Amino acid sequence: MNSGPLLFLGLFVTMACSWLSFVLGPQLQIGHLTQTNTVVVGEASPQTYPLAQPGAARQGAEVYRANGCAACHTEMVRPLELGSDLHRGWGARRSLAEDYLFDQPVMLGAQRIGPDLSNYGRRTDLIGVLLRLYDPPLITPGSIMPSYRYLFDTRKIQQFPSRDALVLPSEIAPAAGYEVVPRPQALALAAYLLSLRQEGYLFEAPPPPLQTNAAPVRAKTAAK
Amino acid sequence: MSATPSPAPAAPLVSPQTPPAETGKSCPAPFLYLIGASVLWLLVASLLGLIASLKFHAPDFLAGQPYWTYGRVHAAQSAALLYGFGVLAALGVGLWLLCRLGRASLAGPCVVLLGTFFWNLALTIGIAAILCGDSTGYDAFEMPAYCAPMLFAAYLMIGVCGLLTFHQRQEGRLYPSQWFVLGSIFWFPWIFSTAALLLLERPARGVLQPLIAWWYARNLSTVFLGFAGLAPVFYFIPKLLGRPLHSYYLAALAFWTLALFGSWGGIPEGAPLPSWIVSLGVVGTVMTAVPLLAVAANFCQTVRHDLNALDANPTLRFTYVGLMFWFIAGAQQIAGALPNVSAITGFTWFGAAQKEMFHCGFFALSIFGAFYYIVPRLLELEESAWCPRLVKAHFYLTFLGVLISCLSLLVCGVGQGILLADPRHTFPEVMKNTMFPLRVSTLGDLCVVVGTILFLLNFARLLARACCRYCAAFPSAKPKEGA
Repeated sequence: MNSGPLLFLGLFVTMACSWLSFVLGPQLQIGHLTQTNTVVVGEASPQTYPLAQPGAARQGAEVYRANGCAACHTEMVRPLELGSDLHRGWGARRSLAEDYLFDQPVMLGAQRIGPDLSNYGRRTDLIGVLLRLYDPPLITPGSIMPSYRYLFDTRKIQQFPSRDALVLPSEIAPAAGYEVVPRPQALALAAYLLSLRQEGYLFEAPPPPLQTNAAPVRAKTAAK
Repeated sequence: MSATPSPAPAAPLVSPQTPPAETGKSCPAPFLYLIGASVLWLLVASLLGLIASLKFHAPDFLAGQPYWTYGRVHAAQSAALLYGFGVLAALGVGLWLLCRLGRASLAGPCVVLLGTFFWNLALTIGIAAILCGDSTGYDAFEMPAYCAPMLFAAYLMIGVCGLLTFHQRQEGRLYPSQWFVLGSIFWFPWIFSTAALLLLERPARGVLQPLIAWWYARNLSTVFLGFAGLAPVFYFIPKLLGRPLHSYYLAALAFWTLALFGSWGGIPEGAPLPSWIVSLGVVGTVMTAVPLLAVAANFCQTVRHDLNALDANPTLRFTYVGLMFWFIAGAQQIAGALPNVSAITGFTWFGAAQKEMFHCGFFALSIFGAFYYIVPRLLELEESAWCPRLVKAHFYLTFLGVLISCLSLLVCGVGQGILLADPRHTFPEVMKNTMFPLRVSTLGDLCVVVGTILFLLNFARLLARACCRYCAAFPSAKPKEGA
């Protein structure tokens, strides 16, 4: 190993191995994934999945990215045998490549300092999201999530109170004559968070036999 | 090369016992710039890490400003650590090793200076942009798209000079450290351009984005920083012990297996990807046991009789402890990749502990060891010019800081994983239990910050001495010391 060019060649080949298997290979396999139809469960009819996000949610994804929300929250539900993701109600099924077709950028996250958000839109509403962003312990006592007050304005009430103003308990309410109103960023972020739903069972992930007392075999046939 | 140890410390073939002062001929400014800038970035990174860590004592600490929210500070810290400290320190030490081992002087010192300047400029813009909310959203690849071309060009300027220096070498035989340095110099532009093109320029579709980001992050740490951190280990331990490296072939085995398997993996178990990709990653990660064992066997045999000597010299001490941390970080990475373990530890603080062990433990310590050797020689000072008390304080603060930080995060991660696996524990309840070890880890972060400041003071002291001596050489200047 005393020749520079040979060393370079060897490094190139090892690099190429890794690149072919982790960049090119997956691209060939799932790079052209398209919308698909959901699996029929019970009486529901198959639906196109996934649907593109509404515009406000797209703007909200930018707010999510800018503030580094993915540092604490994941957006992927692991399969039943890994951890307790499904048991915690973080999703109805494991996450699949199809779920992220229209996301840009795709922020799956690396760590759960807060709960998984893949299906956050299914377990909260607009008021809940906004209150949580303004003062997290209000919704979850003892929460370690920081407040995102900078996404809100505290302003003097003009002629009439704003329709969007938050209804806050007296301890954290602003002074009399003032109101707390979400800025457009907060509304966009809320729209994004509410759009997070990995709905519909797909071929690769039929419904798990979770909330049933039936024997596993029967649950499987029911899923089909 | 056979493993026969030569009786005298003088010039065994494999050992890098080349006459010193060869690099004295090349201009010291580029090296000093790279080294100084990298340590300043480490200070920035550790201060940002401290801010992020303080958020776990008081979630509303600095919460009024968008710039200092946890997500942004965390991303900025990672960028400063990986690109500021990691890349610049890797290049500084790598170029010096190429000069020393090839008995050549640095090619294009002005280009290196300019490249370092542009790298620092792009990085400053990038980190400011991250704090202002312009990060990309990918872990370990946070810098916005408009910084990427400048970073890439600046890297090429420095990297090409490294290759030219290598090309001009006088010594035909290559020592393992040279493979490691060349490996790291080659590796970075490939992975960086892939990530920049497929994440920022023409983003890949859907879940391929995080896959590329995971692959990139793994390559950047395990291979690029791994190579760059192992190069000084392979040079300094045999050199300062005055013994030849035990086996050239074990070193080659470690090098090629690390290049091959270190670049696979980093994908969390259960990721929404075809399962062969995840499995291939697990296989690759488990196979990194081969380079781990090869390096361990090699150094066990090399150091065997001289364990006491490790205490004598700051470079040896730092390098040796850095190597120990490399084993621990590697073992932790393998353990975390095993499916049964990752079901528990996935997405917990376990991963953060591993990264901290690798970057602040292995890489930083092995690089600091090299700095303690290189800087006095660049300035043509005695090694005793370092204030020994500051060196000692720096060592213990960094060592204990990393140990406290990593151990508490490890305990935190495992505890969090075990509790989370049982759905009867609600999520807020689990997080409450992680608070104590998380808060202990702040103490470790604080130690690292103080240690880095002490190193900078010591570094400034050396620079001042060299300046004084330089001034004293002119009759108009007041002579002070070191003449």
